[in-house]
Amino acid sequence: MPPESIYDAWLAHEALALFESRGGGVFEPLAPLPAWCVSLWQVGQDKSVHLAEKSPFLENFLAEAEEFWTFPAPGARNSGYWVEQDSRGQQYPLEASAIWLAGKRVLTVRSLPGAYQGQQRLFQTARDALLMHERLLREIEKKEILLHCIIHDLSQPLTSMRSCFDLLAGKVTPDAAKFVMTGHRESQRQERMIRGILEAFSADLAGEKSSAQGTTPSADLISCARRAVEQFAPAFTQRGIQLLLAPYWDFERGSRVVGDAPRVDRIFGNLLENALRHSPAGSTVEVGLEDGGPVMTAFVDDQGPGLPQDSSRDRLFALFAKGGDYPGKAGLGLYFCKMTVERWGGAVGAENRAEGGSRFWFRLPRAPQESATPSVPAEVNSSAAPVAPETAWKPADKGRHIVVADDDEISREMVVEVLRARGHTVTGVPDGRAALTELERVKPEVLVVDQHMPEMDGLAVARAIRQREKQTGTARVILIGLSGNASGEDERRAFEAGMDALLGKPFEPNMLFQAVERGVEAPRPAAQPSVSAPPEDLRSHLTRMTAGDEKLARKLVAGFLADFPTKLTAIERAVSRRDADGLASAAHRLRGAFSLFDPHQSTLAARNLEIMGRDRRFEGVEEQFRALSDDLSRLEGELRALFPQPASLKKSSRGRARSHKKA
Amino acid sequence: MLQKKICMLGSFSVGKTSLVRRFVESIFDEKYQTTIGVKVDKKVVSVGREEVTLVLWDIHGEDVFQKMRMTYLRGMSGYLLVVDPTRRQTLEDALALQARVQEAMGPIAWILVLNKCDRITEWEIDLKQIGPSEGSRQAVIRTSAKTGEGVEEAFSRLAQAMLHSP
Repeated sequence: MPPESIYDAWLAHEALALFESRGGGVFEPLAPLPAWCVSLWQVGQDKSVHLAEKSPFLENFLAEAEEFWTFPAPGARNSGYWVEQDSRGQQYPLEASAIWLAGKRVLTVRSLPGAYQGQQRLFQTARDALLMHERLLREIEKKEILLHCIIHDLSQPLTSMRSCFDLLAGKVTPDAAKFVMTGHRESQRQERMIRGILEAFSADLAGEKSSAQGTTPSADLISCARRAVEQFAPAFTQRGIQLLLAPYWDFERGSRVVGDAPRVDRIFGNLLENALRHSPAGSTVEVGLEDGGPVMTAFVDDQGPGLPQDSSRDRLFALFAKGGDYPGKAGLGLYFCKMTVERWGGAVGAENRAEGGSRFWFRLPRAPQESATPSVPAEVNSSAAPVAPETAWKPADKGRHIVVADDDEISREMVVEVLRARGHTVTGVPDGRAALTELERVKPEVLVVDQHMPEMDGLAVARAIRQREKQTGTARVILIGLSGNASGEDERRAFEAGMDALLGKPFEPNMLFQAVERGVEAPRPAAQPSVSAPPEDLRSHLTRMTAGDEKLARKLVAGFLADFPTKLTAIERAVSRRDADGLASAAHRLRGAFSLFDPHQSTLAARNLEIMGRDRRFEGVEEQFRALSDDLSRLEGELRALFPQPASLKKSSRGRARSHKKA
Repeated sequence: MLQKKICMLGSFSVGKTSLVRRFVESIFDEKYQTTIGVKVDKKVVSVGREEVTLVLWDIHGEDVFQKMRMTYLRGMSGYLLVVDPTRRQTLEDALALQARVQEAMGPIAWILVLNKCDRITEWEIDLKQIGPSEGSRQAVIRTSAKTGEGVEEAFSRLAQAMLHSP
């Protein structure tokens, strides 16, 4: 085949129109023109043509082409794609180039339907994705607005509820007061949860909308797990499900992971809510952590029916996924876990356990040491006063399962709270029989028991436990006694009954920790403050007793102020009726709570009244009662000055105290 | 016959191609089909007693994938700056583009077109918040390529502005 023919065949194959510029806008074909060119511009094969008149786009481009031919540069000048349509409606995607070829000013015009469509498909996909992304962001924005509205509407009644509880607190019977306090506490908790949800979703939105570079947040996984267990313990208890924190945390490299604490809290919360929904009464749910070198894994094990057979990971953690036959919420919880954990470079999953039930887990990379920012618990953030760092308790090296038995609610709560703050898993019970039941059920490592309780006192509990251990061969439980009469004789009786240690009330928290964590190394009973020790004011005393946890101090004070008038009334009644047993019991109970707030050691009157009751002596009992009323009145004034109470509550309890004084 | 070049400018997917098709062919397609490069159409309109051929340059929308070549604007007599008010960002992008065009081409007739007025409940733009308002000298016209509302008016007013501008 002659070269010309090959050349022409190639031009035809490429659908390439080749023109030479003759100046003045005139162009002459250099080769046979392709069919599209003839059809579109109605040009003859061998005739000169004014291309600018044929195509407005080319007219525009030819100005650029002239510039190129006049001031030559390497390569070519390209027009980019444009589309033209012939008289029959046929569309031609075209591209023109100006080049210098063999000394000629050459214009090529090519029809490229294949390449054009390829690029169009690519851009179409990309722009569709951009539009979808924009729509998604707008939807998220709308949801955030909706969320704010919902949260506003949900929070408003809670404020009213709290005010009602405050008003009720001083006006109801002691039994009802417990429910009022619970209601108050739960309404506060719900408000914090609602705020937490808002903050978590707002943070998600901000993260979704911006790719701003910031320092890697980090959270202490152990602290988050503890907070979650504490927060959910009441809900599990109510459903008859035991919630435990696995007690084997000794991570040499610490437990800080990539992630921010409020959202890790929420992940734990979502997994626990899920476990709560699917666990039967009487079963156990356990939260635990595992060290995986560069990562840490947290898990929630339940003893429920396990995962549905057809549930894949993607389905379980999908948006709006709900567990088959089980009542759930909106199906957002597990999706939130997945979304959040994966954003931090982690993973989330679920599997059936060989022993029954399921395990839901999430894994997060360890936080780089240099970027680790301290995790601030939400409670501390929302607290009015910061925890004094020099007094805050360090976590125990090893968390223990502990049961605390004390008939006095305030004393019990104090012990439970300080032990939880130390990192232990703690259950509180109100009497000796409940302690034995809990011992069977929970199998704790330590039992902290008050010596003086109605029905079954601490000594009887200790004897029963040691006898049972002897008969059954079960592991020895560490028994710590608490007593307001921690004399040498009391200590001797406690050890004879099988206790490992006896602490006098009020005890130093560090002595309690030592006793609980070392067990067998029984500390001496609490020493009375040295005569030469500088006097301690009430604030310092409370700070020391609660390790600077103002929230705990406030809670204990509120409980005491709501509770002591009732106990004082009981003492007054016993005095007037000359009821020796009633006096001993009521004075003992008041002294336990009183001693927690008494840096002046002014609980002497209460102690004397208790002894009078036990000895069945009533000489001078009225004087002792007045002294006790004076002491309480002074303490009440100091406590209210430190932690102002609602006006209604103030008036109510003060009124009662005055009436007791008059009596 | 007098010819005037009009460019359709704005972000991708604001409805530039749909407006031209509605104006030239009186048709509308719900399906979004992205424009690559340029498509040129013509339509003869009457401005007063004068007939004018409008040469309509439908130029691809700007985004991260495609930037507009300013050489496309050579010889332009006016332009429609098209915005999709259901996407707030398209207004900001359009106004930035307008500033570039003004800098490159000098004063030239243009109209701000708020398209998709059939979906006005989804608009994210408050007309009071944008510089040029419907009552000011700068024309702002609401259109819907879907229903045809305002489309003729937009081209017609631009044609008048082009003929009366120096």
